[in-house]
Amino acid sequence: MATTTAALSLTSSDLVGDALSVATTNTLYKAGTTEGLNQTTGMTRSYLTATTQIDLFLPVRTAAADAGKTCWIYICNKSTIETEYATIKLANNTLGRLYAGNFIWMPWNRSARFVDISLTPSVATGMEYEYCMFHEQVEQLASSDSRTFTDE
Amino acid sequence: MATVTATIGLSSGSGDLTSDALDISLTKEISITDMATTGLARAKVQATAVHATATVLYTADDYAAGPYLYIKNTAAAATEYLWVYDDTTSGDPVILKLAGGDWAFMPLKGDKTLKAYAPSGNNPFIEWMVFGTDQ
Repeated sequence: MATTTAALSLTSSDLVGDALSVATTNTLYKAGTTEGLNQTTGMTRSYLTATTQIDLFLPVRTAAADAGKTCWIYICNKSTIETEYATIKLANNTLGRLYAGNFIWMPWNRSARFVDISLTPSVATGMEYEYCMFHEQVEQLASSDSRTFTDE
Repeated sequence: MATVTATIGLSSGSGDLTSDALDISLTKEISITDMATTGLARAKVQATAVHATATVLYTADDYAAGPYLYIKNTAAAATEYLWVYDDTTSGDPVILKLAGGDWAFMPLKGDKTLKAYAPSGNNPFIEWMVFGTDQ
């Protein structure tokens, strides 16, 4: 069984009176099982030069083969300019702004209710992002391209 | 100004998820003026569907734009799901479905009330923390 773990720690010496230290870890499983996730998109790195909203993780068709399958997503804004951010949306609802260096990690239950996950850069001067999905199944649509190319 | 250091690690051994070992680690120091926090809260989730009695995780506009949310389903069973939904937007869209042991960390816009319910009726415990600029 493939074992993939995700860990998080949150620490602070000055947020509350006593030191704050929260740590958690878990293994990524297929939906409703203790069988490890065994597929990933791999880490993608993109350099975006427009403030256009783009899909990082594509819309899910209603009743698609991968509906209800477990996915986990990681998105990181690699900008080093503190004021630069990316707006992250789930469907058309804004989750939040991902400022320079910040990351998001969340499970994404692929169903029509969860639709897609998109990103909109705040500036057009060029911002880098990294994103990755760990999953148990993503529907691969049959190609509809019937064009042919002749040898030159 | 206070600072919270958030570190994420994603890992998998060689030949496990992929042929080569996976090891992703990132640390971000989040510094916010007048930072406040809910503290690490823990509650038994009693509602089994979208309802007024669903556990309130965050109240809309409680913090200025850009708070952060950490949330964890502490249930041991993978089939023990917690659903987190946006109680402000029409239709109560679900934004997270957490299996037992799952956690998430994300920035929020801060203008939506978030609530949780557990369809199983087994009343799993949820833990969460919000930090950002109080207003």
